[in-house]
Amino acid sequence: MIVQLLINNNTTPATQFVSWAPAPCRIRMTNSAGAIPPAVSIRLSSASAPGGGAVGFRTGTTGPFTSTLILMVPTNGASVPFFTAGTVASSNFGDVRIEARAGATVVGSAPCMVRIRKNANTLKPPEKTRFIAAYAQLNNQGLGRFADFREMHRTGLALNQAHGAPGFLPWHRAYLLDLERELQAIDASVALPYWRFDQAAPNIFQLNFMGVSDNLGTVSFANNNPLQFWKTDGQTGVNRRPFFNTALAPPGLRTEAQTLALGTMYSQFRIMEGNPHGSAHSSFGGFISSTNTAPRDPLFFLLHCNVDRLWAKWQRLNSRFNSTVVNSFNNNMASPIGHRLADTMWPWNGVTGGTRPPNAPGGPLAPSPIVPAPGPSPRVQDMLDYHGVISAASNEGFDYDDVPL
Amino acid sequence: MQHAAATHALPEPQFAALVDALAADPARRDELNGLLREDHSLYDQRGAATVVRMRGWVLLALARAGVSDAALIFVLEELESGLDPYLVAAAARALRSYPSPSETFAPFVMRALTNIRYRDEPISFESYGEYAVAATGTSPVRELLATLAWLGPHAAGVLDEVRLLRKQGSGLPAKFRVDIDRAIQAIRGPERSDPPAAPACCGAPATVVERTSSLPPNERCSCAPIASTLLQDHDGATITFKEFFTGQPTIVAFFYTRCDNPLKCSLTVTKLARVQASLQAQGLAERIHTAAITYDPGFDLPERLRIYGKDRGVRLGAHHRMLRAVEDDDALREYFKLGVNFIESLVNRHRIEVYILDTQGRVAVSFERIHWDEQEVVARAVEVLNEGVPTEQTGQMFPALSDS
Amino acid sequence: MAKKLKTAKRTAKVSSRAAMSVAKNAGNTAKQRVAAIASAPLAVIENDKDLQAMLAVLVNADEPIEVRLAALQALQAASFSVVSFESARGDYVAALRKAATDPNKELRQRVLGILMRDKDGFAQKKLLDGLKDPGKALVPPEKALQLLSYDVHADAYEAAREIVKKPPNVVAKREALRLLAADTKAAPLFEKVLRDKKELRANRQIAASALHSIDPDKFQQYARKIVLDKSDFDDIRATSLVALQQFGDDEALGKDKALLKSVKGFSGGKTQAKYKQTAKQFLSRYKP
Repeated sequence: MIVQLLINNNTTPATQFVSWAPAPCRIRMTNSAGAIPPAVSIRLSSASAPGGGAVGFRTGTTGPFTSTLILMVPTNGASVPFFTAGTVASSNFGDVRIEARAGATVVGSAPCMVRIRKNANTLKPPEKTRFIAAYAQLNNQGLGRFADFREMHRTGLALNQAHGAPGFLPWHRAYLLDLERELQAIDASVALPYWRFDQAAPNIFQLNFMGVSDNLGTVSFANNNPLQFWKTDGQTGVNRRPFFNTALAPPGLRTEAQTLALGTMYSQFRIMEGNPHGSAHSSFGGFISSTNTAPRDPLFFLLHCNVDRLWAKWQRLNSRFNSTVVNSFNNNMASPIGHRLADTMWPWNGVTGGTRPPNAPGGPLAPSPIVPAPGPSPRVQDMLDYHGVISAASNEGFDYDDVPL
Repeated sequence: MQHAAATHALPEPQFAALVDALAADPARRDELNGLLREDHSLYDQRGAATVVRMRGWVLLALARAGVSDAALIFVLEELESGLDPYLVAAAARALRSYPSPSETFAPFVMRALTNIRYRDEPISFESYGEYAVAATGTSPVRELLATLAWLGPHAAGVLDEVRLLRKQGSGLPAKFRVDIDRAIQAIRGPERSDPPAAPACCGAPATVVERTSSLPPNERCSCAPIASTLLQDHDGATITFKEFFTGQPTIVAFFYTRCDNPLKCSLTVTKLARVQASLQAQGLAERIHTAAITYDPGFDLPERLRIYGKDRGVRLGAHHRMLRAVEDDDALREYFKLGVNFIESLVNRHRIEVYILDTQGRVAVSFERIHWDEQEVVARAVEVLNEGVPTEQTGQMFPALSDS
Repeated sequence: MAKKLKTAKRTAKVSSRAAMSVAKNAGNTAKQRVAAIASAPLAVIENDKDLQAMLAVLVNADEPIEVRLAALQALQAASFSVVSFESARGDYVAALRKAATDPNKELRQRVLGILMRDKDGFAQKKLLDGLKDPGKALVPPEKALQLLSYDVHADAYEAAREIVKKPPNVVAKREALRLLAADTKAAPLFEKVLRDKKELRANRQIAASALHSIDPDKFQQYARKIVLDKSDFDDIRATSLVALQQFGDDEALGKDKALLKSVKGFSGGKTQAKYKQTAKQFLSRYKP
């Protein structure tokens, strides 16, 4: 007897990833030898490698996830739906398997990964290596798709699509997601890590990761770190001069607790664009400290991943996923275009000219093989329910290690 | 004063003195226009910031002397696609010295406001090369608003946009309210009523701006030794100028990947992709070719060309190529009279330029400085296509592209 | 709800005003003022009075330097809010230019960095003047070169070449090489530096990267030669290996027996452990 497990209703390698959000799955019998019709009782469980991820199960769209699940699987090959969701984050692909047992016998299994955005300071060496390899490949010495991400954040009309108005957080969420999906197209096991800037993060500022700055601000990388070939605007190298001891957190930044306590309304929360976001940027000299040059530093996306994590956490704390709830967003009609709920966002909308920039680099937002949201040309409002809390179809396929379902 | 020889070795103070002298001499004022050509030897081996100071000073001289029809295109070009605050401010001021305002200027001023408003900074016009270290005085936004006021009722077509500049949230900062109100009052006139909106004209004033020039076949130059110039395309394949550019009309755009003005090269190549789409839709993609040639052949190697083009939607193939000169690109510069100059191998300034070459590879139509319309380019290319090859039917023979 | 929103905004404004009040008061300690400024960077652009006050602190050499640097940091943080910063930008740029010649070295350096990342002509001219005439230098030559490299269109190339010929210090030469990497005409210089085993390794790394950018085929040839050369330094051999692995022609590399043999040798013996790892990664990619 053999059963097949379809995670995310699929078997292609790129789809065998889950987050904290429920992932639709199916099980069906592909070889019924030895099975007594019409159906066999199959027990699903999660088998984790040491230090690996873990998943839970449930049958329907509501209710708690449990560590095992029993399903009656027809012998005629008809599939039975169920849901799985990550309960412990993975480090590598395949460090968790879904196993299907008939009695004591394993009759089917599928490796997967609970792919979660993690604290960059505590990444395990293989996670770090995979991430920077994919990142460097995306940059490809200035010839890769990263050039489009750099162009999206260049001086001129591009910057005002994303800064200084309510759309700052949704725009950057889409920006990060677009980049992360491009990274996953290179290595599906990669998730964007975040730089938790209100805590000491000495492991980030090392030769084998984001590099070490000298007094001038020139960043060095280890000889086997592919980020040494990082190139933007036709120039190789990174300029970053920390104004603080990188063994410690930068001073003067709002802590996470202070940021989350800014208020329960989006209009209050979004002043975090100044501190801690702007303050994190200006804790350095070099690329990352000016809007025009900030994405030239690979640290930029780790910084912004933390900004997004703070927003996600605030949303979780205050139930702010529903765009129709007025406190979830500051939908001011006087805001510039791109900063109102119903607005599509440049560059993914492909709109150029007028008050939009002259070009739309990068094209539509990268698709995911797993989830349809937020779509190729998301509106501001599409970025709020990233977790699928209000509507499962809104799930964007990413989660943070410390922002649970 | 004796006018020093205009060479690239001229120190900046002497350049400024030359410009002042030309501006003061009514018989020589028109020479100022020549100083705005990017390929002028005065700009050779100057950094981009130096070129900005120099060009800005010329524009200010024109503002004092009066902008002529011949100089107008340089002013409008700066307003339409310039991102340097000093140059945009100088152009806005210069425009006000044109003999008479025109409704065709209004969209250029509004475009400049959109481009520069988040890069506004204090500007000093007091002396050559001076940078403002105080926020008092003028700025590009202030100059542009003054130019709107100068346009008066001629800006009726953009009155609604000007009103939006007052809007809280998305309008200009409050410190510009007085300037905006002055402009609105000027547009509305003494009766304080909205003048009838003239149809918004998005093109340059046709009577005075030579943004598009066409040459009849018997005036087209094929005198430079260009035929054997070797080019390399986005796949690394080499081809001579004659091999690629003769036999059919070709639309040629110039660009380089290190251009930091998104309103120039990046947009030019994106628009070329739209031209290609239009040719494809009209079934002309095999009969009219396209090419984008880099100003920076040393850096823009094939892979860079290919990726730059692909990222902007350019279709690449045998008839549609991204190209670089393999060796010396002087022949190309001479042939097209390219509006570009360099500091070492880096471009320090260039204009927007697109050409249509005829079946013999000669420049038939050129679009310079002001943004070109994709459909117009296609239409003109079709005209060139329909010129046909003159033979015994016409009784005329035109000099063929010479091999040398 | 609209009332709640108004109240929330009012509360936020009050706390920002309180912070600014502490920041502006010279009677408070520097520490207090720095903390107040850091707590609400957007406060500097909420009203013109506070903005002007912070700018005044920035340019006033009599103010404690920590407070001035905090003001600069807050203003720079606020500048990320591009739309809201619009009203402040002009004043900010003017203040930055004023502070570019400040007596305090750290402030000058930071301010010039901010201006140069925006390709400010004023800052460029000051830096270039300083390279030509050390008496006018606002920052050390290596810093000037680094800042000038933010704009590849700046005319710093001649000065950089002079510094490569006659470097005032090793870091200045390194930064000069980095700047020259934008000039495709400098390829022969980089070939020379890459070949020269007596050259500092950091400079050879820069040369490798520059050559890869300007002439990738030539760089691949050199990278291969370096890997094959047992007498060359391990770290430069490792860099060359990584470059070949990341950007080389996979098919050609897989068939290059001499190269693979050399890498095998590199993966053992007296090679440092971290470089052995690099060699093993290379071998695992190109050998079954």
